[in-house]
Formats: sequence, structure tokens, C-alpha cells
Amino acid sequence: MSSPKRRLRSLRWLDQALPPAIILAVLLIVWQATVRAFDLPPWLLPAPSDIAARFGRTSNLGYHTGMTVIEALSGFVIAAIFGVSLSGGIVHSRFLERGLLPYIIVSNAIPIIAIMPLLTIWFGFGIVPKIMICAIISFFPIVTNTTRGLRSADYRVIEFMRSINATPLQVFLKVQLPSALPFIFAGFKIAASLALVGAVVAEFYSSDRGLGYLIITSATELRTDLLFVAITILAVLGVTSFSVFGRLERWATRGER
Amino acid sequence: MSLTQAPDAAGSATAPDALREPCIRLRGVGLRYQAERGETEALSNIDLDIAEGEFVAFLGPTGCGKSSLLRLVSDLIEPTSGTVAIRGGPAIAARRANGFGFVFQDPALLSWRTALGNVQLPLEVVGYPVEQRRAHCEALLDSVGLLKFKDAYPHELSGGMKQRVAIVRALAWNASILLMDEPFSALDELTKTQLQDDLLRIWSAERKTVLFVTHNISEAVYLADRVVVMSPHPGRIRTILPVDLPRPRTEDLREQPEFLSRVRAAREVLRA
Repeated sequence: MSSPKRRLRSLRWLDQALPPAIILAVLLIVWQATVRAFDLPPWLLPAPSDIAARFGRTSNLGYHTGMTVIEALSGFVIAAIFGVSLSGGIVHSRFLERGLLPYIIVSNAIPIIAIMPLLTIWFGFGIVPKIMICAIISFFPIVTNTTRGLRSADYRVIEFMRSINATPLQVFLKVQLPSALPFIFAGFKIAASLALVGAVVAEFYSSDRGLGYLIITSATELRTDLLFVAITILAVLGVTSFSVFGRLERWATRGER
Repeated sequence: MSLTQAPDAAGSATAPDALREPCIRLRGVGLRYQAERGETEALSNIDLDIAEGEFVAFLGPTGCGKSSLLRLVSDLIEPTSGTVAIRGGPAIAARRANGFGFVFQDPALLSWRTALGNVQLPLEVVGYPVEQRRAHCEALLDSVGLLKFKDAYPHELSGGMKQRVAIVRALAWNASILLMDEPFSALDELTKTQLQDDLLRIWSAERKTVLFVTHNISEAVYLADRVVVMSPHPGRIRTILPVDLPRPRTEDLREQPEFLSRVRAAREVLRA
């Protein structure tokens, strides 16, 4: 009974994935043909085949990618833990809301690159300041979305819970947190791509490893093919995190529409 | 010795009185709150006794404090004057004993839980035995004809079905007092009459005390033992109309002259 349904689902998936795949293929072919036809120098625009070959020949890609992912992921996790807990405090305490919100907004208003030198003075050239950049940059969307989500809970359900003598913890776990989940995952989705940006920018400034470092060095050496390899990896990482949290968001809103 | 026993004897003499004590007793209840433009008096000097198992409808225009009254009874808010007693004790004690089942105008279901999950929600709070929850809730859903929709999410249900789930949710743990705040006012006429009959059937089987807020006159007369007619600004009781129509009440009662005359009487009081 479920097998025709499943076949239908895989068909629908194909229906969605096919058009962008065709466009990508056309684009790559045009790109390849243009480079070959006009004999463009590889430092200006390498052909897709050159980029693919460079991808195969660069042995330390995994290392650089791993560094960037570790920085972005650690920063993101720290921001998620602090951000969600802080939102929990903000919706339960008027004092915390009034006292902290201005600073949270200020933290978002300062361009993140401006504090990179300061963090380097304090924490050196290692991984710590990079993780901090990722945490700071992804903090804001997590806090704002989570706060909005926790507030979105239906006040009548909360009233119903209170009328049956539910504890504040029960109200939080059974009503407020589940209502907030779609917002939280939407915030995570934005925060994860920002964390990736933070990691790369931090590596631009001071680093001897990571995809940001790879981009800066290959640009100064005019190794454009390697530049394209790094950009492609970043694109794949961004799309992956976006689709993971998009899926979680859809799962959390399974009862709506 | 017998003399020292006298106070005890007096105490036991009042015991039958305690038995006759009303389920809900409101004395001089008033409610004021700080609004944007000065103080608003939502309720003023409400005196009312509601007997155990009685079905009382509160009828009145918006702003007469009907909903506030339900919140006062269930200890969600406290009166600024007067007292609320539930079976002789404070309202908070009844709330702590899970004595109240609330139904709102909107179903107010959790969108991420199925119909069955929504009915189970209060059982997770009041400490109902885990192994009996599921079967108990399925039986409840079955009693309102929704068993085959138990795994459906609220958005997959019609307005009437959602409100049925909300009613069953309020019945799930055997609360003895049912508080209903315009539960049928958002429903179409046909669904509304079906749910009214559902409610009467459940009420006559379980004999809960029901406080039913509505602005629909014929609904109040059709359902209630007494209709408390209220007037606004400040909210107060204008009059209490007993509805001495025989039970069980069914659909054809709505065309009977004695029903219509009571609806007319209530309307005249409301207009006056």
C-alpha cells in the first residue's frame, strides 16, 4: 500500500531536483566552451574541468575544510546554548528583558570584523578567537528568533495549563518550547550560515589554516582554480546546513499549514 | 463532660448544612483592574450560589465580565473584593485538586500534537496513571465520534471536530466543574446544535457542574437550569431566570411555545 506512495514521493523529488540540475549542466557546458573557445588564461577564469582536476589533486582540502567546520560548529553550538537559555530568561523576567535587550542589539550592530583585532590581541592567533567570532555572529538571530518563538505560545493553552495547576516547568516544556521550535530552527538556519561566514572572515584576518586561509593565499598567488575549489566547498557546506535546519523546521511545523 | 462536648455537638449539627453547601458560592465579588485610561470595574458585587451538578449559563453582551467570572472561579485571577468559595474552600484549593476543566471559544489545541495527544495533555499534568492514559483518551474520543481521527493533527480537523477535542480534553481527568467560555460561538449553526446535544448528553451522564458563558439567548435557554443575565459597565447580575423545562431536552424543544416564551423573556431582560 505504501509502495506506490513511496514511488510517487521519489518522482516528486526527481521533479524538484531535475530542473536545477539541468540548468547547472548547461551553465557548466557554456562555461567550459567559453574558456576553450576564447582560450582564457586559467588565472582569469579556469574551466570547470580544471577546477575539478584541482579538487582531485589538492590533498589538504579535508584538513582546511575540517578546521573551518570545527570553528563554525563550535561557535554555533556555544551561541545556541547561550542564546536559547538567555531567551528562556528573557521571556520569564521583565528585568532581564529590559536590561539585556539593548546590549544584544548593540552586539548585532557592531561589525564583527571590527572586533577581530581585539580578540587577536586577547586570545592570539589560534582557534579560540575564531570560535568566538562565530559564536558572536550567530548569537543574535538565535536569541531574537527563540524569544519570539517562546512568546508565540497560545496564551489560552497556557491559561488552560494553569487552570489544571501545571508547574511553570511543565508549561515551558509542553507548551512554550514546542511552540518555539519552528522559530528556533529558523534562527539556527540563519545562524549556521552566519557562523560559516564568521569562520572564513576570521581566517582571512589571521590564520595559517582553514578555507578562509586557502582563499586568501590562492588569491594572492593567482591560483584561481584553487579559489574556485574553496568557494565550491563553502557553498556545499552552506547548502547542507541550510537544508538540515530547513528539514528540522518543517518537522517542527508538521501540525501546521 | 457533656458540657465540654457541647461545641462538638454544635459542630456536628452544622454538618448537614455543609452537605447542602453549594458547589460554588460567590459573595460580593468585585473585580477592578488598571486599564490604560484609569481603573476599570469589570465586575461589581456579584452574589451567586451554584449547586452541585447544576448547569448555569451566563448571558450578556461583551464587556459584562462573563469571562472574568470564569477566571475568578478557577483562581486564574483573584477578586479585588468579596470571596469565591468552592465547596466551602478557597478556589486555589479546588484548582490544586484539578477541579476545573476549561473550554474556550477557540479550541486552543496544540498544533504539533494529534487529537489523541491533545486529549492526553492534561493527563500528563494531573498525574493520571500512564498505562491507562491512551485507552481512556481513545474511549473519550470515541464518545464524541472522533476515534477514527485520533491520529489527525488539528489542521486536518474541521472547526466542530476541533471543539469536540477541546471539550473532551477538559473532561479527560474527571474535573468536577466545567468552565466553558463561549465554546460554540465560532461554529456554524448545524455544528453548534450537534455540539449542544453532545454536551447535554455528556452532562446528564456525568452530572458535572457547568458554568457556560454565551451571548446566544436560545443556546443559554436550551442548555441551562438557570440563566444568569448580566449587564455591562460594570459587569453585574441583572436577573436570574430559572429554566424549568423538562430534561432530556432534544432538538424539537426549540419549536415548543414554552421554550420560545423563555427565550423571549430572556431577550426582554437583556434589552431592558
